[in-house]
Amino acid sequence: MLLTTPKRLRQRGIVGMNMRNVVYIGQNNQRKFYPRVDDKLQTKVLAEEAGIAVPRLIGVARYQSHTKKLKEFLAQETAFVIKPAKGSGGKGILVITGRDGEYYLKPSGSKVDDRGIRRHVSDILSGLFSLGGKPDVAMIEELVNFSEVFDGFSFEGVPDIRIIVYKGYPVMAMTRLSTKESDGKANLHQGAVGVGIDIGKGHALNAVQHGQPLEVHPDTGRNLKELIVPDWPVFLELAAKSYEMTELGYLGADVVLDKEKGPLILELNARPGLAIQVANNHGLISRVEQVEADRGKYRRTPGERVLFSMQNFAL
Amino acid sequence: MRNRLELTLLIVILMVLGIGTTIYKIKVLGFSFSPDKKETVWTVESRINFIADGGPVKISLNMPDNRGGLVVTESLRQTKGYKSSHTLSKAGVKRIVWSREDTPKGPQHFYYRVNIFRQKSAQKVARQKPPANLPPLSQPFTDVYLDAAGNLIKEAQNPEHDIIKTSSSLINQLNSPETNQSAALLLDMPRDTGGRLNLASDLLTQAKIHNRVVKGLVLSKNNRNKKLSSYIEVFDGKKWQLLNPKTAEVEDPDAFLIWQRHNESLLEIEGGSKAKTRFSSLSTKILANQAAIKGGQQKHSWLIDFSIYSLPLASQNAFKILLLIPFGALIVVILRNLVGIQTSGTFMPILIALSFLQTKLVVGLILFLTVVCVGLILRALLSHLNLLLVPRISAILVFVITIYLAISVIGFKMGSEVGLNVTFFPMIIISWSIERMCVLWEEEGGKDVLIQGSGSLFTASVIYVLMQNNFIGNMTYAFPELLLVLLAIILMIGTYSGYRLSELRRFEPMGRE
Repeated sequence: MLLTTPKRLRQRGIVGMNMRNVVYIGQNNQRKFYPRVDDKLQTKVLAEEAGIAVPRLIGVARYQSHTKKLKEFLAQETAFVIKPAKGSGGKGILVITGRDGEYYLKPSGSKVDDRGIRRHVSDILSGLFSLGGKPDVAMIEELVNFSEVFDGFSFEGVPDIRIIVYKGYPVMAMTRLSTKESDGKANLHQGAVGVGIDIGKGHALNAVQHGQPLEVHPDTGRNLKELIVPDWPVFLELAAKSYEMTELGYLGADVVLDKEKGPLILELNARPGLAIQVANNHGLISRVEQVEADRGKYRRTPGERVLFSMQNFAL
Repeated sequence: MRNRLELTLLIVILMVLGIGTTIYKIKVLGFSFSPDKKETVWTVESRINFIADGGPVKISLNMPDNRGGLVVTESLRQTKGYKSSHTLSKAGVKRIVWSREDTPKGPQHFYYRVNIFRQKSAQKVARQKPPANLPPLSQPFTDVYLDAAGNLIKEAQNPEHDIIKTSSSLINQLNSPETNQSAALLLDMPRDTGGRLNLASDLLTQAKIHNRVVKGLVLSKNNRNKKLSSYIEVFDGKKWQLLNPKTAEVEDPDAFLIWQRHNESLLEIEGGSKAKTRFSSLSTKILANQAAIKGGQQKHSWLIDFSIYSLPLASQNAFKILLLIPFGALIVVILRNLVGIQTSGTFMPILIALSFLQTKLVVGLILFLTVVCVGLILRALLSHLNLLLVPRISAILVFVITIYLAISVIGFKMGSEVGLNVTFFPMIIISWSIERMCVLWEEEGGKDVLIQGSGSLFTASVIYVLMQNNFIGNMTYAFPELLLVLLAIILMIGTYSGYRLSELRRFEPMGRE
């Protein structure tokens, strides 16, 4: 079959792009709250105030004059990440995993000297990586010490967990695994594998690549059914709490797992995509309706919302 | 919910206003959706001759009836030395009056010229009902004549005959008195006014048929130096039909300009003699919408007075193009939000389509692809330099101009002027497109560039095909109020939350059992 029918999609409760934009985003996300997620520095400050676990902020470079003090400032840090606060698509992120004398080491093993770091920060400040070339600030944050539980599930890098939060209720989750085909990027339409994660228990549901179901990772050969997210309720609670923090009704939370600190919110997104429905082989509409019905009856804390979701959205 | 109601109300109001105005313009002002629909315009000239006594002169001419779907515009009425004015009698007869205090003695002549076109077909206009009572006879029938009239009417009133057939049969009998005694007798009846024509009219009235004598010009052919000819209008129960008193046949009312409908005099003169007037007519065709605009201006319809048509021609031409742009926007909205085609830059396809209007489609596509491909290669060279945004775009702009120049010069040296068309492309937009596509290439890969690029070109081509369509061009220009309808449609799509066509493909695996 080349095309399906609108009737069939409605039966399955699939949300389309127009519905996402007009109803989910248009009616739930106030524009004035967007900077809370579009500006990663604001997100971090708000999260720390709200007691939501995020990678620790080491410092912020706001002006070109700050670049001169970088060497001194970073003297005690061995592993850190420099990223633009308003960057898009993962551009302009510099990861430093260690030191070799005067040099900083990148994950690939190549060396960067102090001037290299300064130029990178300077580029961020002048808006090289931000949308529309607007001046930006550079954030320096602690490098996440990724847990090994996801080893072998991804071709390169470490996967994060995307959780869709509707009015504070986690409604759907997935993880995106990069492949050789996707060039190490976690972008589904470039050939990354999407794996739906059961809201009830945190284990993998089904996996898709290019919209077609598959059993094992195409490059690493690991059985994708074995993917289980530890500390699952903590993941969900982090995501649920970000609703109070951002006041955005339709929200995507990207959560990573640190070896020592546990789940950390890496990024929030006010316009999360719809591919998560394909990865879960489930539509969003029915869950959103359940949330609306529950909201009509109770006012719940983040913890209660997580329990509600785990009970009602388990498959 | 309140939002929803407001929006629905707004859409309904916009629709009603837009469509209502359009219908009004078509039905009442005579606009047409068809760009090629032509109306016939007749230029009717009357030449007035008279011998002046010397001294003050006053001449008045009955004006053609500006009713019944006819629009009469005067194109010439001034004559050197004469003052002209209009009068309107209580019976509704319009006359034009020329006067002069010091006319020299001797023969005088001057011209009066009008342009005439039909707003509505005379066939539709002819539906107005006659008065309830038959008009009095111009001369009552008495004695033998009453019997003769009765005989004629009886012969004509065959039960198989309708009113028109009865009428033409009566006229025919009068036209051949040699075969009909009653007719011969009636024609010999001494009459005070009128001749055979008034007799025919009286006979019809006697037969209880509504009729009237009209005078006018047959417009179907070009006439020179004609007098007005007399016709009889007969009401057949539904509408007035025009009968030729000589042939007793029904004539096409659209080809007949009624100059006199009442028994008023055609030409009156004081201070002169031997006045006569002769008519010449010439028919030309003009576009229906042009005629409607002229008609509207004549009637001082505010829809015409306060519209594009009141602007200077150059501005009107500019608006001809501008009014197409919202239409292009609608296409973009439909293709993006209902079909789900991806384009690079929201309105870039519209601007590209506007360029295609100048270059024509195939040439435009080839030139666009050449410029963008060469531009992308040059832009890729810039990538490693890590330039800031504005200098980067500016550098691309320089590339683009250079490519334009190269295409034009190389093409021209090779003997083709096709390349010169490249200047019609908006270079700033092209520069931005190149930049966006290059960024897309780096971030998402070449496949996405191909998808968005072909989506943009497809959208631009669709918009081009529609924009250069004569019918749509006419529609947006002749009916700018359709913009309101367009706006209503855009508002509707703006709140459409159903699936896009592309999503039926995207989510196809989820539709399976």
